[in-house]
Amino acid sequence: MRPFQYLAPIPSFDYVAPRTLAELFEAFNGHGKGFAIIAGGTDLMVALKERAVAPEAVVDLCRLRGELGGIDVSKGVLRVGALATFSQIESDPLVRRYANALRQAAANVGTLQIRSIATLGGNLATASPAADSAPPLIALGASVTLLGRSGQRTLPVQSFFTGPKKNALLRGEIVSSVEIPAGEGVSSVWTRAAVRNENVLSTVSVAIAASIHDGRFGSSRVALGAVAPTPILAENSSRAMTGSEATAGQAERVAALAAEEARPISDIRASAHYRKHLVFVLTRRLILQMVSEAGIP
Amino acid sequence: MRKVRVSFTLNGLKKTDEVEPNQTLCDYLHDVAGTTSVKKGCDTGECGACTVLLDDMPVTSCLVLAPQVEGRDVVTVEGLGTKLVPNPVQQAFVEHDAVQCGYCIPGMIVTLSWVREHVPRASDAEIKRLMSGNLCRCTGYLQQIEALKAAIKG
Repeated sequence: MRPFQYLAPIPSFDYVAPRTLAELFEAFNGHGKGFAIIAGGTDLMVALKERAVAPEAVVDLCRLRGELGGIDVSKGVLRVGALATFSQIESDPLVRRYANALRQAAANVGTLQIRSIATLGGNLATASPAADSAPPLIALGASVTLLGRSGQRTLPVQSFFTGPKKNALLRGEIVSSVEIPAGEGVSSVWTRAAVRNENVLSTVSVAIAASIHDGRFGSSRVALGAVAPTPILAENSSRAMTGSEATAGQAERVAALAAEEARPISDIRASAHYRKHLVFVLTRRLILQMVSEAGIP
Repeated sequence: MRKVRVSFTLNGLKKTDEVEPNQTLCDYLHDVAGTTSVKKGCDTGECGACTVLLDDMPVTSCLVLAPQVEGRDVVTVEGLGTKLVPNPVQQAFVEHDAVQCGYCIPGMIVTLSWVREHVPRASDAEIKRLMSGNLCRCTGYLQQIEALKAAIKG
């Protein structure tokens, strides 16, 4: 990371705020490689100040809220627009009903001031391995829709992340929305460990989505954040949980598999060893919580 | 680079101006628009000294580009209360000695006035969560939380 250059203003750029998608893709074309996209700006503004990026144009999505915003349910799918802010997600009744883990994660992103403007699409596009929205979306089996001049395509959220700060977006494409299966009877939970409670990046985060019938887990998905180059679906752990008895012993087994699947690094927030331990503890805690919420003694 | 023409509402008054594309809302409000309550602390969205209301949501204005306020509603402390007619949170801050050096206070007042209006039943834990984006290095927050609760009670 380069030192901040507090006194010098951000090098200047052209500011463009397209009013239609056609104008948006026109703006991308007009600036070749040298444009950056701004939505909430909570990541881009810091990158501009750090001189991590120096675009010749900044293209603002803020006037496309009609096309890229909103939260709605139709035909069994919860659609969250890319420009939905974490504050909107945190307080949305549809999100609470169908994607509780996403609501929990949204409520813990940054601070009130960050949640007020930071967007779901921006959180995904920045593609941090610690992106708090990603494990809930992956656990819920969500997909992300990418929009370009020549049309749209849809990817599972875990495939959208291709490496630290790297994503599947092609030049001239934007994240337009996220689609979450809105199934009745599926519950989802999220938790994290961090060096303090607020205003902090997650050291490890875990999300689980599952249904419970007759004392057994139905189709289950365990997803992990900040323990691999990208947020990941813990496949072995998810497979072991699916169809298993909803008991403390199974929670232990599923959590141990999740810890094995984590491939963390050591950094300023925690050692790799401690992160694996946290994956075990948090996964077990979430499963026990689901069991207890399902009223199983 | 070309300046950008913006029309927006600042503290209830319509305003049109030409702003630099690379200027933050924080710098614009403090240096150009004359709303000097808006303080620059960390300039990276961590400390909350530059908090203003943007369409009635608290945001760190150092993370907003000035051109982004087009068509929107901006409120700073100047729009929340005056020396003669302070808002209830300002009055409670005075009564609870919730101010020391004062640098964080405008941002703190903006956030807590928003909490008073929108989450008046917040528990202590919820108040702490909502004010975690406003760092104060003097008082330790207790007087500020007490002041907010007194302001909510009325």
